[in-house]
Amino acid sequence: MELDELKSLINQKLTTDHSGRSANDIAQLLTRKTGSVIDKLKRSLRIEVICCIAAILLFAYIGIWGHFTSLRIYFSVFALLSLVFLGILVHLYKRINDLSATTLPVKSNLQTILHIIQEFSKRYFQFTMALLPVCFVFALILGYTENNKPDLPVLDKAVADKLNTGWKIISFVVVYLLILSVGLYYFTKWYLHKLYGRYAAQLKECIAELEEQV
Amino acid sequence: MSAEKEFITLLNQHQKIVYKVCNLYMDLHADREDLFQEITLQAWKAYGNFRGDAKFSTWLYRVALNTAITYFRKEKRQPAIYATESLPERQQEAPDPVEEQVKAMYVAIGTLSKIDKAIVMLYLEDYDYKEIGEMMGITANNVAVKMNRIKTRLKEETQKTAANY
Repeated sequence: MELDELKSLINQKLTTDHSGRSANDIAQLLTRKTGSVIDKLKRSLRIEVICCIAAILLFAYIGIWGHFTSLRIYFSVFALLSLVFLGILVHLYKRINDLSATTLPVKSNLQTILHIIQEFSKRYFQFTMALLPVCFVFALILGYTENNKPDLPVLDKAVADKLNTGWKIISFVVVYLLILSVGLYYFTKWYLHKLYGRYAAQLKECIAELEEQV
Repeated sequence: MSAEKEFITLLNQHQKIVYKVCNLYMDLHADREDLFQEITLQAWKAYGNFRGDAKFSTWLYRVALNTAITYFRKEKRQPAIYATESLPERQQEAPDPVEEQVKAMYVAIGTLSKIDKAIVMLYLEDYDYKEIGEMMGITANNVAVKMNRIKTRLKEETQKTAANY
Protein backbone atom coordinates (compact mmCIF):
# COMPACT_ATOMS: atom_id res chain seq x y z
CA MET A 1 0.00 0.00 0.00
CA GLU A 2 1.04 3.57 -0.58
CA LEU A 3 1.14 6.58 1.70
CA ASP A 4 -2.06 8.09 0.29
CA GLU A 5 -4.04 4.93 0.99
CA LEU A 6 -2.88 4.84 4.61
CA LYS A 7 -2.97 8.61 5.10
CA SER A 8 -5.86 8.77 7.55
CA LEU A 9 -4.72 5.73 9.55
CA ILE A 10 -1.14 7.02 9.88
CA ASN A 11 -2.44 10.44 10.78
CA GLN A 12 -4.67 8.89 13.41
CA LYS A 13 -1.83 6.80 14.82
CA LEU A 14 0.49 9.80 15.08
CA THR A 15 -2.22 11.83 16.80
CA THR A 16 -3.36 9.23 19.28
CA ASP A 17 0.04 8.01 20.47
CA HIS A 18 0.12 10.19 23.58
CA SER A 19 -1.30 10.53 27.05
CA GLY A 20 -2.45 14.16 26.86
CA ARG A 21 -1.66 17.08 29.16
CA SER A 22 -3.84 19.39 31.20
CA ALA A 23 -3.67 23.19 31.09
CA ASN A 24 -1.87 23.03 34.47
CA ASP A 25 0.79 20.70 33.05
CA ILE A 26 1.36 23.13 30.18
CA ALA A 27 1.53 26.09 32.59
CA GLN A 28 4.21 24.23 34.57
CA LEU A 29 6.23 23.58 31.42
CA LEU A 30 6.43 27.32 30.77
CA THR A 31 8.54 27.77 33.91
CA ARG A 32 11.22 25.29 32.79
CA LYS A 33 14.52 25.95 31.03
CA THR A 34 14.88 25.26 27.33
CA GLY A 35 17.50 22.77 26.14
CA SER A 36 18.02 23.99 22.58
CA VAL A 37 21.57 24.70 21.40
CA ILE A 38 20.68 28.26 20.49
CA ASP A 39 19.24 28.93 23.97
CA LYS A 40 22.32 27.41 25.57
CA LEU A 41 24.39 29.74 23.41
CA LYS A 42 22.23 32.63 24.59
CA ARG A 43 22.78 31.68 28.25
CA SER A 44 26.50 31.37 27.63
CA LEU A 45 26.52 34.79 25.91
CA ARG A 46 24.73 36.32 28.90
CA ILE A 47 27.44 34.96 31.24
CA GLU A 48 30.19 36.15 28.88
CA VAL A 49 28.68 39.65 28.72
CA ILE A 50 28.69 39.86 32.53
CA CYS A 51 32.27 38.53 32.74
CA CYS A 52 33.36 40.90 29.98
CA ILE A 53 31.90 43.94 31.79
CA ALA A 54 33.60 42.86 35.03
CA ALA A 55 36.90 42.38 33.18
CA ILE A 56 36.65 45.78 31.48
CA LEU A 57 36.07 47.48 34.83
CA LEU A 58 39.00 45.65 36.43
CA PHE A 59 41.34 46.30 33.48
CA ALA A 60 40.30 49.96 33.33
CA TYR A 61 40.99 50.30 37.07
CA ILE A 62 44.49 48.85 36.69
CA GLY A 63 44.98 50.88 33.49
CA ILE A 64 44.24 54.12 35.34
CA TRP A 65 45.58 53.50 38.82
CA GLY A 66 48.28 50.81 38.29
CA HIS A 67 51.76 51.39 39.79
CA PHE A 68 53.75 50.37 36.71
CA THR A 69 53.60 52.14 33.35
CA SER A 70 53.87 48.83 31.46
CA LEU A 71 50.92 47.33 33.37
CA ARG A 72 48.85 50.47 32.82
CA ILE A 73 49.41 50.31 29.04
CA TYR A 74 48.90 46.55 28.96
CA PHE A 75 45.58 46.56 30.81
CA SER A 76 44.31 49.64 28.98
CA VAL A 77 44.80 47.80 25.67
CA PHE A 78 43.11 44.76 27.17
CA ALA A 79 40.17 46.89 28.32
CA LEU A 80 39.76 48.35 24.82
CA LEU A 81 39.88 44.92 23.18
CA SER A 82 37.35 43.59 25.68
CA LEU A 83 35.12 46.56 24.91
CA VAL A 84 35.12 45.60 21.20
CA PHE A 85 34.40 41.99 22.13
CA LEU A 86 31.57 43.13 24.41
CA GLY A 87 29.97 44.94 21.44
CA ILE A 88 30.12 41.72 19.40
CA LEU A 89 28.63 39.65 22.24
CA VAL A 90 25.75 42.11 22.69
CA HIS A 91 25.11 42.11 18.93
CA LEU A 92 24.94 38.28 18.84
CA TYR A 93 22.72 38.21 21.92
CA LYS A 94 20.32 40.63 20.25
CA ARG A 95 20.24 38.50 17.09
CA ILE A 96 19.34 35.39 19.08
CA ASN A 97 16.60 37.33 20.87
CA ASP A 98 15.18 38.49 17.54
CA LEU A 99 15.29 34.94 16.23
CA SER A 100 13.38 33.58 19.25
CA ALA A 101 10.60 36.11 18.72
CA THR A 102 9.98 35.27 15.06
CA THR A 103 8.68 32.19 13.31
CA LEU A 104 10.61 31.81 10.08
CA PRO A 105 10.16 29.17 7.37
CA VAL A 106 12.25 26.07 8.10
CA LYS A 107 15.02 26.92 5.62
CA SER A 108 15.45 30.53 6.78
CA ASN A 109 15.38 29.40 10.39
CA LEU A 110 18.14 26.86 9.76
CA GLN A 111 20.22 29.42 7.85
CA THR A 112 19.83 32.03 10.60
CA ILE A 113 20.83 29.63 13.37
CA LEU A 114 23.81 28.42 11.35
CA HIS A 115 24.88 31.99 10.65
CA ILE A 116 24.69 32.94 14.34
CA ILE A 117 26.76 29.90 15.36
CA GLN A 118 29.32 30.53 12.63
CA GLU A 119 29.58 34.21 13.52
CA PHE A 120 29.97 33.41 17.22
CA SER A 121 32.70 30.85 16.50
CA LYS A 122 34.46 33.22 14.08
CA ARG A 123 34.44 36.21 16.46
CA TYR A 124 35.46 34.08 19.41
CA PHE A 125 38.37 32.71 17.40
CA GLN A 126 39.38 36.17 16.15
CA PHE A 127 39.30 37.58 19.68
CA THR A 128 41.45 34.76 21.05
CA MET A 129 43.94 35.19 18.21
CA ALA A 130 44.00 38.98 18.67
CA LEU A 131 44.93 38.40 22.31
CA LEU A 132 48.03 36.43 21.30
CA PRO A 133 50.18 39.41 20.25
CA VAL A 134 48.84 41.43 23.17
CA CYS A 135 49.45 38.74 25.75
CA PHE A 136 52.84 37.57 24.55
CA VAL A 137 54.67 40.03 22.32
CA PHE A 138 53.26 43.27 23.70
CA ALA A 139 53.63 42.06 27.29
CA LEU A 140 57.22 41.04 26.59
CA ILE A 141 58.13 44.43 25.10
CA LEU A 142 56.42 46.33 27.90
CA GLY A 143 58.06 44.19 30.57
CA TYR A 144 61.45 44.57 28.95
CA THR A 145 61.21 48.35 28.68
CA GLU A 146 59.68 48.93 32.13
CA ASN A 147 61.99 51.26 34.08
CA ASN A 148 60.47 50.60 37.42
CA LYS A 149 60.84 46.79 37.44
CA PRO A 150 60.47 45.03 40.79
CA ASP A 151 63.28 42.67 41.86
CA LEU A 152 62.50 38.98 41.48
CA PRO A 153 65.71 37.36 42.81
CA VAL A 154 64.74 33.72 42.13
CA LEU A 155 63.67 34.44 38.56
CA ASP A 156 66.60 36.77 37.91
CA LYS A 157 69.03 34.10 39.13
CA ALA A 158 67.41 31.38 36.99
CA VAL A 159 67.59 33.60 33.90
CA ALA A 160 71.20 34.58 34.65
CA ASP A 161 72.21 30.90 35.11
CA LYS A 162 70.41 29.30 32.16
CA LEU A 163 69.96 32.08 29.63
CA ASN A 164 73.32 33.72 29.87
CA THR A 165 73.85 34.62 26.21
CA GLY A 166 71.85 36.76 23.76
CA TRP A 167 71.02 33.94 21.30
CA LYS A 168 69.81 31.68 24.15
CA ILE A 169 67.38 34.34 25.31
CA ILE A 170 66.11 34.98 21.78
CA SER A 171 65.77 31.25 21.05
CA PHE A 172 63.89 30.69 24.32
CA VAL A 173 61.52 33.58 23.62
CA VAL A 174 60.87 32.47 20.02
CA VAL A 175 60.24 28.82 20.99
CA TYR A 176 58.07 29.89 23.91
CA LEU A 177 55.96 32.19 21.72
CA LEU A 178 55.67 29.63 18.94
CA ILE A 179 54.55 26.81 21.22
CA LEU A 180 51.99 28.97 22.98
CA SER A 181 50.67 30.55 19.78
CA VAL A 182 50.37 27.32 17.80
CA GLY A 183 48.98 25.50 20.84
CA LEU A 184 46.36 28.14 21.47
CA TYR A 185 45.45 28.33 17.77
CA TYR A 186 44.70 24.60 17.55
CA PHE A 187 43.15 24.41 21.00
CA THR A 188 40.69 27.21 20.19
CA LYS A 189 39.79 25.57 16.85
CA TRP A 190 39.30 22.20 18.52
CA TYR A 191 37.28 23.70 21.39
CA LEU A 192 34.89 25.60 19.10
CA HIS A 193 34.48 22.56 16.89
CA LYS A 194 33.75 20.41 19.93
CA LEU A 195 31.10 22.88 21.11
CA TYR A 196 29.28 23.60 17.85
CA GLY A 197 30.96 21.62 15.04
CA ARG A 198 28.62 18.64 15.00
CA TYR A 199 25.52 20.77 15.35
CA ALA A 200 26.61 23.14 12.57
CA ALA A 201 27.28 20.12 10.32
CA GLN A 202 23.75 18.81 10.96
CA LEU A 203 22.24 22.19 10.17
CA LYS A 204 24.28 22.40 6.95
CA GLU A 205 23.07 18.94 5.98
CA CYS A 206 19.41 19.99 6.40
CA ILE A 207 19.98 23.22 4.44
CA ALA A 208 21.72 21.31 1.64
CA GLU A 209 18.77 18.92 1.49
CA LEU A 210 16.33 21.82 1.17
CA GLU A 211 18.50 23.52 -1.46
CA GLU A 212 18.88 20.33 -3.47
CA GLN A 213 18.12 21.08 -7.12
CA VAL A 214 15.22 19.15 -8.58
CA MET B 1 -7.51 37.04 29.51
CA SER B 2 -3.73 37.31 30.00
CA ALA B 3 -1.43 36.32 27.12
CA GLU B 4 -0.16 33.35 29.13
CA LYS B 5 -3.64 32.00 29.84
CA GLU B 6 -4.65 32.58 26.23
CA PHE B 7 -1.56 30.71 25.03
CA ILE B 8 -2.15 27.80 27.43
CA THR B 9 -5.77 27.49 26.30
CA LEU B 10 -4.79 27.50 22.62
CA LEU B 11 -1.94 25.04 23.12
CA ASN B 12 -4.17 22.78 25.17
CA GLN B 13 -6.68 22.72 22.32
CA HIS B 14 -3.98 22.03 19.72
CA GLN B 15 -1.63 19.80 21.73
CA LYS B 16 -2.21 16.91 19.31
CA ILE B 17 -0.11 18.81 16.78
CA VAL B 18 2.82 18.90 19.19
CA TYR B 19 2.39 15.21 20.04
CA LYS B 20 2.33 14.35 16.35
CA VAL B 21 5.64 16.11 15.79
CA CYS B 22 7.14 14.50 18.90
CA ASN B 23 5.98 11.03 17.81
CA LEU B 24 7.41 11.57 14.36
CA TYR B 25 10.80 12.86 15.45
CA MET B 26 11.56 10.91 18.63
CA ASP B 27 11.75 7.18 19.18
CA LEU B 28 11.61 7.04 22.95
CA HIS B 29 9.02 8.26 25.39
CA ALA B 30 11.52 10.28 27.44
CA ASP B 31 12.83 12.03 24.31
CA ARG B 32 9.28 12.85 23.23
CA GLU B 33 8.60 14.40 26.60
CA ASP B 34 11.75 16.53 26.28
CA LEU B 35 10.79 17.63 22.78
CA PHE B 36 7.23 18.42 23.89
CA GLN B 37 8.66 20.68 26.59
CA GLU B 38 11.04 22.33 24.12
CA ILE B 39 8.29 23.00 21.56
CA THR B 40 6.01 24.40 24.27
CA LEU B 41 8.73 26.79 25.47
CA GLN B 42 9.73 27.89 21.97
CA ALA B 43 6.09 28.48 21.06
CA TRP B 44 5.57 30.54 24.21
CA LYS B 45 8.67 32.64 23.44
CA ALA B 46 7.43 33.33 19.91
CA TYR B 47 3.77 33.78 20.90
CA GLY B 48 4.19 37.54 21.42
CA ASN B 49 4.67 37.89 17.67
CA PHE B 50 1.75 35.69 16.68
CA ARG B 51 -0.65 38.19 15.17
CA GLY B 52 -3.45 35.86 14.27
CA ASP B 53 -3.15 36.50 10.52
CA ALA B 54 -2.41 32.78 10.12
CA LYS B 55 -4.31 30.00 11.84
CA PHE B 56 -2.90 29.05 15.25
CA SER B 57 -2.54 25.44 14.07
CA THR B 58 -0.43 26.49 11.04
CA TRP B 59 1.72 28.74 13.21
CA LEU B 60 2.15 25.96 15.79
CA TYR B 61 3.17 23.50 13.06
CA ARG B 62 5.84 25.92 11.93
CA VAL B 63 7.22 26.42 15.47
CA ALA B 64 7.04 22.70 16.25
CA LEU B 65 8.80 21.64 13.04
CA ASN B 66 11.47 24.32 13.40
CA THR B 67 12.13 23.16 16.95
CA ALA B 68 12.13 19.45 16.09
CA ILE B 69 14.46 19.88 13.10
CA THR B 70 16.98 21.98 15.05
CA TYR B 71 16.64 19.91 18.24
CA PHE B 72 19.87 18.15 19.05
CA ARG B 73 20.42 15.46 21.62
CA LYS B 74 24.00 14.93 22.72
CA GLU B 75 23.50 11.37 23.82
CA LYS B 76 21.10 8.78 22.69
CA ARG B 77 19.41 7.06 25.56
CA GLN B 78 19.64 3.75 23.73
CA PRO B 79 20.25 2.67 20.15
CA ALA B 80 17.51 4.14 17.99
CA ILE B 81 14.91 1.66 16.80
CA TYR B 82 12.19 3.82 15.43
CA ALA B 83 8.90 3.89 17.27
CA THR B 84 9.37 0.53 18.94
CA GLU B 85 7.87 1.85 22.15
CA SER B 86 4.67 2.87 20.49
CA LEU B 87 4.23 -0.24 18.44
CA PRO B 88 2.14 -3.03 19.89
CA GLU B 89 3.73 -6.42 20.46
CA ARG B 90 3.59 -8.78 17.52
CA GLN B 91 0.59 -10.94 18.01
CA GLN B 92 0.75 -14.67 17.80
CA GLU B 93 -2.65 -14.89 16.07
CA ALA B 94 -3.16 -13.90 12.45
CA PRO B 95 -2.35 -10.20 12.28
CA ASP B 96 -4.66 -7.62 10.77
CA PRO B 97 -3.15 -6.89 7.34
CA VAL B 98 -4.13 -3.21 7.38
CA GLU B 99 -2.66 -2.79 10.86
CA GLU B 100 0.53 -4.46 9.61
CA GLN B 101 0.66 -2.05 6.68
CA VAL B 102 0.18 0.94 8.96
CA LYS B 103 2.91 -0.37 11.24
CA ALA B 104 5.25 -0.88 8.26
CA MET B 105 4.50 2.61 6.94
CA TYR B 106 5.05 4.11 10.40
CA VAL B 107 8.45 2.44 10.62
CA ALA B 108 9.28 3.53 7.06
CA ILE B 109 8.46 7.17 7.84
CA GLY B 110 10.84 6.87 10.78
CA THR B 111 13.72 6.13 8.42
CA LEU B 112 13.27 9.43 6.55
CA SER B 113 15.50 12.47 7.07
CA LYS B 114 14.33 15.31 9.35
CA ILE B 115 13.36 17.43 6.33
CA ASP B 116 11.42 14.65 4.61
CA LYS B 117 9.60 13.86 7.85
CA ALA B 118 8.45 17.49 8.03
CA ILE B 119 7.17 17.36 4.45
CA VAL B 120 5.33 14.09 5.10
CA MET B 121 3.80 15.49 8.27
CA LEU B 122 2.40 18.53 6.47
CA TYR B 123 1.23 16.35 3.59
CA LEU B 124 -0.63 14.09 6.03
CA GLU B 125 -2.27 17.23 7.43
CA ASP B 126 -3.62 17.97 3.93
CA TYR B 127 -1.64 21.14 3.35
CA ASP B 128 -1.18 21.73 -0.38
CA TYR B 129 2.27 21.93 -1.98
CA LYS B 130 2.22 25.73 -2.04
CA GLU B 131 1.51 25.90 1.72
CA ILE B 132 4.11 23.23 2.47
CA GLY B 133 6.61 25.18 0.35
CA GLU B 134 5.88 28.38 2.28
CA MET B 135 6.42 26.62 5.60
CA MET B 136 9.59 24.89 4.46
CA GLY B 137 11.02 27.87 2.56
CA ILE B 138 11.14 26.10 -0.82
CA THR B 139 9.05 26.20 -4.01
CA ALA B 140 5.83 24.23 -4.52
CA ASN B 141 7.49 22.49 -7.46
CA ASN B 142 10.36 21.39 -5.24
CA VAL B 143 7.87 20.05 -2.68
CA ALA B 144 6.07 18.08 -5.40
CA VAL B 145 9.28 16.45 -6.59
CA LYS B 146 10.43 15.70 -3.03
CA MET B 147 7.02 14.24 -2.20
CA ASN B 148 7.18 11.91 -5.21
CA ARG B 149 10.61 10.70 -4.16
CA ILE B 150 9.41 10.23 -0.58
CA LYS B 151 6.38 8.20 -1.69
CA THR B 152 8.56 5.93 -3.81
CA ARG B 153 11.00 5.46 -0.95
CA LEU B 154 8.20 4.73 1.54
CA LYS B 155 6.72 2.16 -0.82
CA GLU B 156 10.06 0.38 -1.10
CA GLU B 157 10.64 0.52 2.66
CA THR B 158 7.18 -0.83 3.49
CA GLN B 159 7.67 -3.67 1.04
CA LYS B 160 10.98 -4.50 2.72
CA THR B 161 9.42 -4.33 6.20
CA ALA B 162 6.40 -6.40 5.10
CA ALA B 163 8.74 -9.07 3.78
CA ASN B 164 10.36 -9.31 7.22
CA TYR B 165 7.08 -9.93 9.06
